[in-house]
Amino acid sequence: MSTQWQALHQSTDRLRNTHLRNLIDQPGRFEKLSFSHQGILLDLSRQRIDDQVMAELVSLADESGLSQKIAALLSGEHVNTTEDRAALHTALRLPSNAKLEVDGVDLVAEVHQTLDKLEQFVDRLHASQWRGYSGKPITDVVNIGVGGSDLGPLMTCEALSEFRPQVAAGISIHFVSSMDGSQLSNLLLRLNPETTLFVLSSKSFGTLDTLANAATAADWLIAYSGLQRELLLKQHFIGVTAAPDKAITWGIAENNILKFWEWTGGRYSLWSAIGLPIALTTGMQGFRDLLAGAHSMDRHFADSPFQSNLPVLLALVGIWNINFQDIHAHAILPYDGRLAHLPAYLEQLEMESNGKSVRSDGSQSRERTCPILWGEIGPNAQHAFYQLLHQGTERVMCDFIVPARRYQERESGLQEQHQLALANCLAQARVLSLGDAALTGDNERPPWQRYFGNQPSSVILLDQLSPFTLGSLIALYEHKVYVQAMIWGINPFDQWGVELGKKVANNLIEALNSQSSSGYDLATNGLLSAIHQQQKENH
Amino acid sequence: MQISVWGQELSAWVARSQLAAFGNQVVHADQLTEPSGSELRSEPGLLASLEQAVLHQRLICDHAKALASEVHWIALASGQEQEAIDLVKRLAAKHQGPLLIINQSQFGVGVSDQLQSLLNGEDQHVLYMPDLLQAGSAVQQFANPEAILIGQNSTQAANHLISILRPFHQGQRTIQLMSRREAEFVKYAITGLLALRLGYINELAALSDHLDIDVDAIRRGMSADKRIGGHYLQPGCGFGGLQFTNYLEGLSKLLSKQQSSVLIDTVLRQNEINKEWPFRTLWQYFNCNLSDKSFAIWGVAFKPGVADIDNSPSLRVIDSLLAQGARLRIHDPEALETLQQRYPNAPSITFCNNSYEACDQADGLAVLTAWPEYASPNFQLLRATMKHPLIIDGRNLYDPARIQHYGFHYFCIGRQCLSNSELFSE
Repeated sequence: MSTQWQALHQSTDRLRNTHLRNLIDQPGRFEKLSFSHQGILLDLSRQRIDDQVMAELVSLADESGLSQKIAALLSGEHVNTTEDRAALHTALRLPSNAKLEVDGVDLVAEVHQTLDKLEQFVDRLHASQWRGYSGKPITDVVNIGVGGSDLGPLMTCEALSEFRPQVAAGISIHFVSSMDGSQLSNLLLRLNPETTLFVLSSKSFGTLDTLANAATAADWLIAYSGLQRELLLKQHFIGVTAAPDKAITWGIAENNILKFWEWTGGRYSLWSAIGLPIALTTGMQGFRDLLAGAHSMDRHFADSPFQSNLPVLLALVGIWNINFQDIHAHAILPYDGRLAHLPAYLEQLEMESNGKSVRSDGSQSRERTCPILWGEIGPNAQHAFYQLLHQGTERVMCDFIVPARRYQERESGLQEQHQLALANCLAQARVLSLGDAALTGDNERPPWQRYFGNQPSSVILLDQLSPFTLGSLIALYEHKVYVQAMIWGINPFDQWGVELGKKVANNLIEALNSQSSSGYDLATNGLLSAIHQQQKENH
Repeated sequence: MQISVWGQELSAWVARSQLAAFGNQVVHADQLTEPSGSELRSEPGLLASLEQAVLHQRLICDHAKALASEVHWIALASGQEQEAIDLVKRLAAKHQGPLLIINQSQFGVGVSDQLQSLLNGEDQHVLYMPDLLQAGSAVQQFANPEAILIGQNSTQAANHLISILRPFHQGQRTIQLMSRREAEFVKYAITGLLALRLGYINELAALSDHLDIDVDAIRRGMSADKRIGGHYLQPGCGFGGLQFTNYLEGLSKLLSKQQSSVLIDTVLRQNEINKEWPFRTLWQYFNCNLSDKSFAIWGVAFKPGVADIDNSPSLRVIDSLLAQGARLRIHDPEALETLQQRYPNAPSITFCNNSYEACDQADGLAVLTAWPEYASPNFQLLRATMKHPLIIDGRNLYDPARIQHYGFHYFCIGRQCLSNSELFSE
């Protein structure tokens, strides 16, 4: 165990009996433990840390060679070691005048070529000049994708829908992901095939879930129009993929393909052409602002000392909670309904990236890694799982995310609702940390009305929610994930854990179709025969 | 009688020419710029009549004198409400004695009452006279009105206007008096009904294609019923025009705001879809690929007899064809210059002064405005000029049997054109 790691264990013992309320009382703590970057304030003053812990955490980062590892990430080294490739989501948000050459290829030029093509698509759709087979303009765009090809665009479109420019008013965006066709079947009942465009988003263009939905969509168009598949695919399908050849084989017209690259991880891909639904919602300017916000965080991540580096600090505080405070549950609590899908997005970003127990060198990790993340819009979660946060047996760390300004040009009733949300956000952070001490007065209450407090939380205060600040916020979490992975010594950019299930499912399709119910484990055999029985009875 | 006329609208210029023609001293406040440079130049009889008025010095330009008149005719554009308010305030400040203001601008219901409230004198009145002139026959309609509607709250003021207009009605035409608000609403009501008729016949035309019937026969049958008559029942690829659309949008907003009615809004939306019928027909005919095709367009004015292209169906057709990479050769007897101003840098458009020249090597011809000169072309010459014998007739100008006899593929609206079955069903 390294000396920094040991020092932090000693600090853990030193602070073991110190309640958070006693730490919070120290003068100057907020000024010392809140950090800002371009519209984002990160308040870590409700973490169970002091100056010494902060210094030890920063030393831990230094010791793990973080500076070189950040440089390696940004310069396109093959940081994704198990798949031997770069993870260059940061290249996707470089401005056009930046320089980044990797293996002799000018990535900035390639990225901006795709952005320009994306812009042409967006302009055509916004101008009502993307035509369906009958010549009517496209009015509905259905994004078919799953995982990173779904969660990122979905979350961002929901968050930024009020930034929709007038030209975007004629286009409605829909998201379809579920393999069983639940979302698609509802949509197909109410959409008009003449005016519906499907965007097939799949990095590999081999994702079963997506191809199953796409096949159903194509059949729907053919059945309704009676036209040739080739003609319909040309007018009604766009492919966004890193495997253009496969998309062309499937039937997407070459002109309708937006390319991205092997070095863009699925859960890091909303900045690429996968962001087409975002650009359709916010307009190209909004999408470029989102990229600019992320790029601003990239620069901050690369250039700031760790002592004031937001992603590094957020990561280190996480390390402290997970590895030294023994907290393995992490709640994401946005106090803004527009961020409803942020918890689901971060669940994938963090748990698919860092939910690993084997280190990059093949050894078993001795330390705990990614905690269980979940979340919900804060005010709604107050009526759901906050009971557990306040009085349960589990230790939980919370991220509160809230904009300071909202509804400034809207009705006074809405402005008051925002004040109400802010008040609740501050109140919950306060009660979680202080417990009973949050309210002065009598402490003569029965045990079931007592609050222990001492639950750590971070508050991320946005000036306002905008394309720029949202871009920064997402990049903040991306880099936080990278920093934690580097300290744990794991590769955050692969996801081998999801492969085996896909293979076994392919195998079981045959068993289901052939009515066979043997050859598997006894539990599977039993269920297969129960399903066969049910399907026979209702045939 | 000295009368000041304010505004650059068609109704202002027609009022100037006609009031001057009958001996009034018409004063114009601004530099006298005749509408020869604008779309109004093609309004039949207008320029000649204005020339006469200027020649005989019955139409003069004098700002001070314009303000001094006791009678003012205000025909400003719908967006110039504030200018009207400012003008009436200046007149109120200048005049203690009698003042008669005839408002003919489309500002919405209640604005004339508001203008009246700016006046002080007992003998100072604002009247509202709806602008019922139709572009293309406006001079003749002003000179020989079917009826005169006056919105007023003073019989004395109304009588004053009736006497000014005496040469035109000669005491023999219906004169209706109503409140200013009612008079302001009448034009909305008229425009709405006309649009409903057009919307209705277009719906029937679309249905006719599915029922294997000819909408023209249906239209004739309907027109024989006296309660219906024959006006505004010609199916076509949409209606346009600035004023017509403005009134409809105004009415649609009123209906939607006051009682959540979507009646007129539906007609307007469907009209935008109808405007693209020629595009959709070409798109389907050529299997969704129009890049590098060359098409002739006959007619871009929103109706025959005008040089005006505001909200014209042709614009939607041109934009959609250009967006798909088609090249266009366009002819219009009057509106070509206006169209050139709208598409100053469009390498894919050739502006043609001769209608046959527009069809040179064309993959298809779209007829979008029912100009008389398109009614009976030399089909043999046309067939020889075009690369591909295809005519999309957005105004139902031709006889399907005859045109198909010349070897054309012919598409029209709701008239059992044989070729319609060649398209995808919509």
